[in-house]
Amino acid sequence: MTAIEIRNLSKSFGAVRAVDGVSFTVKAGTVTGYLGPNGAGKTTTLRSLLGLVTPDSGEALVNGKRYRDMATPLNEVGAVLEATNFHPGRTARNHLRLLCVAAGLPVSRADEALGQVGLADAAGKRVGGFSLGMRQRLALASALLGEPKVYILDEPANGLDPAGIQWLRGFLRHLAHDRGAAVLVSSHVLSEVEQTVDDIVIIAGGRLVRQGTLAELTTNGEKTVRLRTVGDGELTPALEKAGAKVDRLDDDALRVHGLEPEEIGRIVLDQRVVLTEMIAERSDLQKVFLELTEER
Amino acid sequence: MIGLVRAELLKLSTTRLWWIMLLVTLLLIGVNLAFFIGFAGNAQGGLPALDTPEWAQLAWSSGASGRIFVMILGVVMLTSEYRYQTITGTFLTTPRRGRVITAKLIAGLIVGVLFALAVLLFTALVVIPTVLIAGGELSLTEAHVPAIALGTVASLALYTILGIAVGALVRNQIAGIVGAVAWAYVIESLFLAIPALQVVGKWFPGGAAQSLMSIDVNPGMGSSDLLPAWGGAAVLVGYAVVFAVVANATTVRRDIT
Repeated sequence: MTAIEIRNLSKSFGAVRAVDGVSFTVKAGTVTGYLGPNGAGKTTTLRSLLGLVTPDSGEALVNGKRYRDMATPLNEVGAVLEATNFHPGRTARNHLRLLCVAAGLPVSRADEALGQVGLADAAGKRVGGFSLGMRQRLALASALLGEPKVYILDEPANGLDPAGIQWLRGFLRHLAHDRGAAVLVSSHVLSEVEQTVDDIVIIAGGRLVRQGTLAELTTNGEKTVRLRTVGDGELTPALEKAGAKVDRLDDDALRVHGLEPEEIGRIVLDQRVVLTEMIAERSDLQKVFLELTEER
Repeated sequence: MIGLVRAELLKLSTTRLWWIMLLVTLLLIGVNLAFFIGFAGNAQGGLPALDTPEWAQLAWSSGASGRIFVMILGVVMLTSEYRYQTITGTFLTTPRRGRVITAKLIAGLIVGVLFALAVLLFTALVVIPTVLIAGGELSLTEAHVPAIALGTVASLALYTILGIAVGALVRNQIAGIVGAVAWAYVIESLFLAIPALQVVGKWFPGGAAQSLMSIDVNPGMGSSDLLPAWGGAAVLVGYAVVFAVVANATTVRRDIT
């Protein structure tokens, strides 16, 4: 089911064409990574989706509706934008409570959401003393208030420590895979989302460059398999005979290009070589990402 | 809409600015009153004696000087949302921006009235004992006291929403506050103090606010040329409406980046 739909979206700021004819969809139950270098147009796309920016043309819909037409948006969409959207003199709990009051939600949701993001202990503290990571968690808590089924997050990993990033990954996967939510998460750092996302949309210079599942994007590159053996006998000639290109890494290790792991396994079996390690290496997604975004 | 107004009031009550502003307002009025008491009956100062109705009138009306602070409060109610970017969360929660501006204006009216009541209470606590000790006659129905009280409430309420409207127009906190102070303390006081300029000044919000209280004591500067009280009220409401409409129109379509 399509939860987010961007259709032919364009937006210029003065002479700068920030987003140029971008279209993509996000399905319920998946985490979609929206990737691109800084200034690619990610934030403008997300802000158009949230009714904060008025697009010049095209549509950005959540659940088939424009954000500005939603009567109770917090129940439909949870948004995390930059982590600076707080009054420093206000406590975390009060920040969430007044959002609840404005949205017509019970104020008890404030403490529940704080608990969900692990900020229960800091509920009564002023946000001015929060670290960037705590602000990100608070921003996430505000997205959870209305228990929506669609989440839109702009660079949520910024400022999180490694443990925080790990926690965020698990949380986003939980929202999508256990609760069936659609999650759209932007990032300029591929490795941040690589382990979290199901689908990837890549944007550069305001234009969409690639869209697909994580698997589709990674299989575009060359397949390699790394082998570690105890003495490899006639293995290298056998592999080469089957059409592979073999690089020797050290005395016990080989990298094999151009064969499926299964074919390699059968050859190893035929050669009766003792195998201690066999790793199918994914093509370096980071390299693909750089190539796709650099040519713009 | 009630929820939105409550949220706007919560935004004020959960930060510290409102009571700092209230304290400063009362402090300024206290200084004014101390001046009025200290120089009462002083021939050079041109102030009437403590036991005269003219003095009571002057003292009661000192609460209106709090309007600059509620105006600043109004400016901050809007500009702090831009300064701290909480406007993003506000508009995410309520994407129909006109409703946010309306809720802020209603909340501003409420805050202005509450400030006026606090100011009047404070003035009463100073003026009533002073008049009684000086042997004057205490009357809350004469010496224009009801008109002054009503005028104080109306002008503080309207100045708060003028501040909100100015804030919506400029969005920059410093510019908004500096503009409000410069307007109230420099331009308006100039146009109200110099008789030749009062022809124009009486149409300014400050002039309209003064006429609302229908006080005709103007120490040292001769009698003033002001609008009738109802005219002052009409002018203030007119300003508020115009500013609110402009604030709404400029906020609704602007991109939040």
